[in-house]
Amino acid sequence: MSNIEKPVYLEEKLEEIQASGHLEYRSKSLPTWCPGCGYFSIVEGLTAALNNLSIDPDETVVVSGIGCASRFPFFIDTYGFHSLHGRALPVATGIKVANDDLSVIVVGGDGDAFAIGGAHIPHAARRNVDITYILFDNGIYGLTKGQTSPTSVLGFQTTTSPFENHDMPLNPLMMLLSYGASWVGQAYAGHPHHMAGMIEEALAFKGFSYLHVLSPCVTFDKTSKTYQNLGMSVRPLPDDHDRSDVMAAMAQAQKTDAPALGCYFEQPRPTLADGLNDIAARAAK
Amino acid sequence: MQRNGKKATDLQIAICGSAGDGTIAAGDMVKRAMARAGYKVIAFDVYPPEIRGFGKCISRVRVTSEQVFSLKPKSDVLISLDDSHAIPHVGEVKDYGAVIYEDMPVTMVPEGGHISGHLLSSHLPYGVPFRELSERVTSSARSRNIAVVGYLAGLYGMPRDVFYAVISDKFKTKPAVLTKMSIQTFDAAFEVGENTFRLDEGVLKPPPKKAKHGELVMMSGNGAIAKGCMDAGLDTFFGYPITPATTIMERLAVDLPKQGKRMLQTEDEISAISAAIGAGYTGARAATATSGPGFALMSEMMGLGTMAEVPVVIFVSQRGGPSTGMPTKTEQSDLNIAVFGAAGDGQRIVLAPTNVEGCYKCAGKAFEIAERYQTPVVVLLDLYLSNRYEAVALPAKNPFAANCSKPVGKLGKDQPYHRYALTRDFISPRAIPGDKGRRHAVTGLEHDENGRPNDHTHEMMSRKRHEKLHSVVRYPGITMSKRFGDKGKVDVAIIGWGSTFGEILEAMIIARDEGIRCAAMKVVLLSPLPMEPINALLADAAEVLVPELNYEGQFANLLTGTTGRAVTRLNRVPGTPMHVEDIVDEIRRLAAKKKGRKALAAE
Repeated sequence: MSNIEKPVYLEEKLEEIQASGHLEYRSKSLPTWCPGCGYFSIVEGLTAALNNLSIDPDETVVVSGIGCASRFPFFIDTYGFHSLHGRALPVATGIKVANDDLSVIVVGGDGDAFAIGGAHIPHAARRNVDITYILFDNGIYGLTKGQTSPTSVLGFQTTTSPFENHDMPLNPLMMLLSYGASWVGQAYAGHPHHMAGMIEEALAFKGFSYLHVLSPCVTFDKTSKTYQNLGMSVRPLPDDHDRSDVMAAMAQAQKTDAPALGCYFEQPRPTLADGLNDIAARAAK
Repeated sequence: MQRNGKKATDLQIAICGSAGDGTIAAGDMVKRAMARAGYKVIAFDVYPPEIRGFGKCISRVRVTSEQVFSLKPKSDVLISLDDSHAIPHVGEVKDYGAVIYEDMPVTMVPEGGHISGHLLSSHLPYGVPFRELSERVTSSARSRNIAVVGYLAGLYGMPRDVFYAVISDKFKTKPAVLTKMSIQTFDAAFEVGENTFRLDEGVLKPPPKKAKHGELVMMSGNGAIAKGCMDAGLDTFFGYPITPATTIMERLAVDLPKQGKRMLQTEDEISAISAAIGAGYTGARAATATSGPGFALMSEMMGLGTMAEVPVVIFVSQRGGPSTGMPTKTEQSDLNIAVFGAAGDGQRIVLAPTNVEGCYKCAGKAFEIAERYQTPVVVLLDLYLSNRYEAVALPAKNPFAANCSKPVGKLGKDQPYHRYALTRDFISPRAIPGDKGRRHAVTGLEHDENGRPNDHTHEMMSRKRHEKLHSVVRYPGITMSKRFGDKGKVDVAIIGWGSTFGEILEAMIIARDEGIRCAAMKVVLLSPLPMEPINALLADAAEVLVPELNYEGQFANLLTGTTGRAVTRLNRVPGTPMHVEDIVDEIRRLAAKKKGRKALAAE
């Protein structure tokens, strides 16, 4: 029976949500984001994924940098480290090196990742640190009230590009694929159920998994990456997409006008901890 | 303190050559052998930034029977492996000191290029055909530096067995024939040296009795840091190569995995400290090591360590600055950044050992202190201390305690855990990821007791972060400051920190021998300063002298700023250690000034 045939009652829905258990992963602090922000659905997606995978919140650390997205650790009930602008990945690497039993999730925005933190991404990817990196891409600096970011489109007008942005936006998926990330996927905050599934898949993957989430900033972007524009342009990856083929993944990543959602690339390989354990084994001889 | 008595051995050897001549290796053999024989040894190598080819290398080794604290300005022997580099150093050879050089016809070198033409009439020249000697035994000139060491050992009557042991040790991973040939070269040269004319006073006196506690080991400052880290149970180390701190990481890259622990070379210094803070957050003992330029990059993260109250240890080996500065020259100019360098009010703990043994102590204790006070601890070294070798007696029993973190007690039912709970000593009980039911977020934002962003708590939390550090001045098992020399009222007090304190102590001993009433104080804890002993010394002193290797007088500024007492500064930035004689001159001048005032008052 479809939803249209059966009416949805709020109370029933709330009970259903309560019963699912994923609210247990929410903290008592209410998110400080603007109403309508795509980030709300990312919180929902992550808590649902943690719940589905029965990940112990006491054994989980969410690490962030600085930005709207980076307030994330305060809104979910795990261990959290709200660190410095751009430095979430090295902090997470340190956590994993010291205690490999912890599940570590890194969250952050496009400015945090690709502007100030750009130097750390290739190294976390090539070392295959066993973490999940969820990147909230709204193509703008929201916390500082609307400036251009490294993923802002050409011609975008903001307070720091009043005469339009002339800097080519980065293509994060191309970057991550060429950095050797072992799991690369894309989701859209406007499709929360699909996104929750993608987050679950990324969390379950052993190794460095990168999930790019297209997420509108409803306050400072009225023209570019809006729900309307993104909703009309996103598409699923083709059914026959081969996720072990990096060239096919790159071909899809080039189609930025119609962003494809799904897992672009997956290639399990030894993680950083595997390497460090091997070093210890050699040293012990 | 009788220093230069007839019976005492005090021989300083300077070996000078071109990079690639085996200069540093020769010095290394001498210092290790002498330490093994039971002498006290201090050694310091100066090397160029170039790897091989034309740069000048000097290895200075001071061998004594009694404890000394620095090198002498004048060496007893100069050995030249390359005359063009050694000629400028002829002047540092004392009267009736020896100059040992490669004997070759003067016609074979350009005019003025032969060291024999530069010797003073008071120097004893020893021209020896080392190249020929080496080639005769091993058919190669590559063992020339061993021939030099053998000749030196023969000339000064050093015991042979310790050199055999050191040579075997050096080549233990190489084919056995190398050890054999090296010892043959050593012996051949030893016999030549033994049968050479020499002054009686040049012959080494037998070594003092073996030290009571354990064997003396030859160790560099950086080596002692690595050893201290290992003994303190370091779990993780993150670093990025930078002179002169790299050898700490290189040592730990070997030692940590042997214990199942982990070392990671990161992509830059920012990641190194970020990862160390991440690791410290999980409860692991974590550290990084760097020098000035890397330290500057780390300062923002150190602020996070202070704010989020995460323990981490940062070893900083200072070199000439600002900017890239002088990577292979020593300086003490990162005190300001160590004590103050970050945004906002952020007092942190800074330790500065003054000798190699202190490096070991400070390294290990730094982890205890970082954990106890939940804050970054900076251990300040400098190139002179990092690369200086001393014979050190390590304690037989590991002196460092494991986990010093304040545990979370039993919480009542429904009583929430607060990461930044206010307590009487301002230190909050600390939970780490994995602890059941203690979930919390840490942050660089100002926060409330629960770690939630909050601007209204700033006054209270600033107080917490500062007050909690006060008791570190009384932290047990480590010397935070120490006074030497005359007790009670003194004419001159010399206060110093870091490697320069060795020269300060030597200078004070000389000044006291001249009858000047003086005392010296080393300050190991540079932040927060141990005010009580400092103020007591200042109250006793008519004049206060602060010698340090930086242009601005950074420690003098800190002292004057915290005590209000004007001090006399002695600042040098030659890139080399301070001259003892410079400090003595200043002590004499200050003592005379006081005498002059007294005489004036008497009139």
